[in-house]
Amino acid sequence: MKIVIIGASAAGISAAKTIKASEPDTEVVIISKEDSIHSRCMLHKFLGHERDAKGISFIADDFFETNGITWHSNTTVIGLDAQKKTVKTHDNQDIGYDKLLIATGAAYFIPPIPGLREAKNVYGFRDLKDAQLLDSECNTAKNAVVIGAGLVGMDAAVAMLMRGLKVTVIEMTPAVMSLQLDQKSAQAYQQLFEEHGAAFILNDKVVSVDVDEVGRGKTIHLASGKAVPADVIVIAAGVRPAFSFTEGSGIATNHAILVGDDLKTNIDDIYAAGDVTGMAGIWPNAMKQGRIAAINMLGEKLLYEDRYALKNTVNFYGLTTLSLGNINPEPEENCNIFIREDRHNYQKVIIKNGIIQGVIIQGNIAGTGFWQYLIKNKIDVSGKNKDVFSLSYADFYDLNQDTGEYNYAV
Amino acid sequence: MKRIIIDREKCDGCLNCNIACISAHEEGSNFYTVNMQSPDAETRNFIKFDAQKGYLPIFCRHCDEPECVLSCMSGALEKDPLTGHVQYDESKCAACYMCVMNCPYGVLKPDKRARTKVIKCDFCDDKPDGPSCVKACPKKAIEVKEVSL
Repeated sequence: MKIVIIGASAAGISAAKTIKASEPDTEVVIISKEDSIHSRCMLHKFLGHERDAKGISFIADDFFETNGITWHSNTTVIGLDAQKKTVKTHDNQDIGYDKLLIATGAAYFIPPIPGLREAKNVYGFRDLKDAQLLDSECNTAKNAVVIGAGLVGMDAAVAMLMRGLKVTVIEMTPAVMSLQLDQKSAQAYQQLFEEHGAAFILNDKVVSVDVDEVGRGKTIHLASGKAVPADVIVIAAGVRPAFSFTEGSGIATNHAILVGDDLKTNIDDIYAAGDVTGMAGIWPNAMKQGRIAAINMLGEKLLYEDRYALKNTVNFYGLTTLSLGNINPEPEENCNIFIREDRHNYQKVIIKNGIIQGVIIQGNIAGTGFWQYLIKNKIDVSGKNKDVFSLSYADFYDLNQDTGEYNYAV
Repeated sequence: MKRIIIDREKCDGCLNCNIACISAHEEGSNFYTVNMQSPDAETRNFIKFDAQKGYLPIFCRHCDEPECVLSCMSGALEKDPLTGHVQYDESKCAACYMCVMNCPYGVLKPDKRARTKVIKCDFCDDKPDGPSCVKACPKKAIEVKEVSL
């Protein structure tokens, strides 16, 4: 059997690894538009000159040789014929498959703001290619503007601060990383960034960008009337699943490729995993989807059930935060909010009817992995009759005597 | 694979396993010389006490399906196909702490010193005489056993 995987990031590589580990004789072909395998979560380490391109790889150097995988790098898939079971590449190759995995991820989005799409010095921060282009801009630029203070924007900002640029971050919402943090925990990061030289303009919107005679964006105008000078502009305003090559193939889509619990599309033998499905969100989930799609392509049955994606960790300047679930509940949700803090730590637990809805642990996040299990499995902790901050896995301790593995006693 | 099997009825919470773990990761130290005040004095296992259930030793399982490995975006965490143990390559780690978030048993933790690496059981590098915590347990509450991979 020949399995073709389009995309060589978390989902694609995890699928290839899974296939080769259980059925080494299956032919695996990976097609990717990039010419290097890298973890996009480490792009800031590349841009900040902490690591080189090889240093942000997440696989062994000899991964393809050792596993006997064919890799078509620098190759973009532009078409798909589901009847003939072939994909067409930009250089006019038709590559046949028995089973196909679409793991093409997502692409950054530039909002339709006058000047922003036209300006030549506007970059996303998604792939190594983006980071390489930004890297050369950083050699000469003085003023950098980051549009969007989500995790990606903050990653870009921290890297450019390391490079000695003056960085201004513009954000529509009133706080940084508003998907992951509440006001208090966001303030801690904002202050750290400011101590390292960043400026923040929150609660404001870009309305236009002045483009100079050589096509570069020079001044960013905001709704408040402020004007910010820019030599280089990073746009971090979200991503969209990337699947334009499936047009006309009959694959069902709705802003993303639609898949069932087995990660199969509406067409037999075609599967999708990772950001292109619109339901991965973060690296661990994309890896898991790649693995599950691979197992199903090999003819076994495994369902993608561990869907919980409202989770993240943040680590900037040594300040770590775990964020899970609904961390900014509305008053009408009638949640109980418990807060505990000292000068190094801020902890917030949101509970409704004995079920934990959300958690922010900022500072010491040692041993906090059990929270995700409690939240995603909606485990009632009211019967534990103890201070919610003293909960740990020990309260649910259960050991399988044969295998020695842990279970949850609930 | 080899796994540390726990008999919590036997545990009396003496924490010798904790000290042995810290010492095993402080080069050249022993039970009497280990620097417990060092910021690097980190135990990879812990014991919780519960008024009803008594002592609960919580040690890395090197899980069959390790969530930490599946969540690792740098390739620093890998399950060794031969030993079955989850190995950690500090030089690859980017300290994103997805593994800390995804360990269902809350075993993994960031280092205290600079938050640049993960503190995780390494099974004492599969030394022939076994993990130091097991050797240090006076009650045989933790023992290495062979389980199917």
